[in-house]
Amino acid sequence: MSEKIFACLLLCYPPAFRRRYQEEALQLYRDRLGDEHGMVSRCRLYFDLLIDAITGLPRAWRNTYADKGAPSLTSNAEGTPSFHLLNNQPLRPASIVFGSTLSLAALSAFVFMMSLASRYPPSSTSGWSSPIESVMERLNHALPPGNEDVTTAYASAAEGASQGQLTTRIASAISIETGVAVGNTERDHVIQAAASILVAHYVDTQKAHEASDLLLIHQKRGDYDALSDGPTLAERLTQDIQGSTQDLQVAVQYSRNAIPNSPPTPSAVQHEEYRAAMMRQNCTIEKVQMLSNGIGYMKFNFFPDPTVCSEVFHRSMEQLSQSRAIIFDLRDNAGGFPGMVADVAAELFDHPVLWYNPRATPNASLLSPVPDSKLANKPVYILTSSRTFSGAEHFTYDLKMLKRATVIGEATRGGHPGAPYRVDDHFWMAVPEVRRPSPYGTLDWQGLGVEPDVKVNASDAMGTAQQLAMKSRSKWAAR
Amino acid sequence: MPKRKLDPLPSAAFQILLSLADDELHGYGIMRQVEEQTNGHIRLGPGTLYSSIQALVEEGLIEEVDRSPASGGGSERRRYYRLTSSGRKLARSEAERLADLLRPARAKRILRGDYV
Repeated sequence: MSEKIFACLLLCYPPAFRRRYQEEALQLYRDRLGDEHGMVSRCRLYFDLLIDAITGLPRAWRNTYADKGAPSLTSNAEGTPSFHLLNNQPLRPASIVFGSTLSLAALSAFVFMMSLASRYPPSSTSGWSSPIESVMERLNHALPPGNEDVTTAYASAAEGASQGQLTTRIASAISIETGVAVGNTERDHVIQAAASILVAHYVDTQKAHEASDLLLIHQKRGDYDALSDGPTLAERLTQDIQGSTQDLQVAVQYSRNAIPNSPPTPSAVQHEEYRAAMMRQNCTIEKVQMLSNGIGYMKFNFFPDPTVCSEVFHRSMEQLSQSRAIIFDLRDNAGGFPGMVADVAAELFDHPVLWYNPRATPNASLLSPVPDSKLANKPVYILTSSRTFSGAEHFTYDLKMLKRATVIGEATRGGHPGAPYRVDDHFWMAVPEVRRPSPYGTLDWQGLGVEPDVKVNASDAMGTAQQLAMKSRSKWAAR
Repeated sequence: MPKRKLDPLPSAAFQILLSLADDELHGYGIMRQVEEQTNGHIRLGPGTLYSSIQALVEEGLIEEVDRSPASGGGSERRRYYRLTSSGRKLARSEAERLADLLRPARAKRILRGDYV
């Protein structure tokens, strides 16, 4: 290390220190350099200087360097005002500690606040938010008009929402788009496509033809010619179709953003968000309990994605393996994934059964039981209300038809598992699907609901189910 | 009352006080004396040395001695320092404190020898 480098190192020291000791320090360096010869000694000298720079600096900055020998300003100036100069005063250790503590506290507070922030906070009027509510909340409120990517909304909704209300809600979310012109060619195409979709998919064939014909007649007369912007055209078509079918669930909707050809696959991030939300809510399983009378009780409010929640449901149902009968409380269940509906049902059989799924093609297939399920032979009771909807109705209907469960409570809501149909790049329709016959020989729940075996008020269903389960238990014990 | 800079007394400052117990020394002399009295364990670098000297001067434990270059034996201006009475007192009390610390160690036969 040359003297110049050492002199540069001294620049790190306080100016007062340098004024007073720089020459002496350099002299000390020279003295050592003159006294210590040989490679080892030199290396030791440089090492000493390096360590000294690290340990000596804080010490140097702590000193005040007040000139004790200097006479006071007052006595020198003889009556003239005197001032203390503070610019050379070093920071006191207490000030450094206080400043550091304050900074750390502010940083900690910031990190804490950030950890509280949630992109999709559970919020609802009841305080508890189901996955459907979360999705609907996002669709109906969180989307800034004109800025939200419709693709994301579609994907999120398709991922987590129930089958029935989905269509209408997505449509309402998208219909906030306004003000884009529609040319003659596109208008004609939209009208004809809407008429075709009605005929092909609407649940009531006769009404579908009537509404379709009405649209084409209006078109022929030129009634739609003046409608030159998307939202107005969509609104008028909706009015005509709903007026003809008397069904408020059929609607034509307009989106300024281009509508994808098919619902895009949820991204890994979206899937992870969904998984985290499900884990936070225990996959919507509100209660799993062995009642004092030996009856197992399970209340869940959604049939979530089986790829995420299958294991959680399986473990919860295993807790009821020692029960004599099982009560599934679906009074607040809003539906969900058909796959999960089948997975839960599969725990209740010890042999394959013909399982009906109106959304599948073909609509009936063999459902394999879960091997060695301890729930397979236990009496099952399902509690229903007028709120029980969609996938929950699917579960209830199939188990009732298979005579595997006794349904207690109110008739279910009778939802149409409607689907969105793309008309063109900016228009689409919400259409309740064509009803196909179930393999059990009856009409399914669509539009009708599932009639309970024991009709009581939803609030009384639990008590009734327990009474029946106790009798059933006695019968079972007598076997 | 603000806490004093040299409370507790850093070992470098203590060794500087001891090095000045017999004679007035300049910076380099202090460094060599400290090295000698600690059997080479402590070699004070310029930063530590002069920072400690400054702190000791500010606390009135050592003071600068006015010496002409001729009396110092060299052409360059060197500052010499000597122990003040309060510096000597502090060095003594620090030595006693350390001796008190070492006494039980010797009683427990952890530390051998009579040098305490």
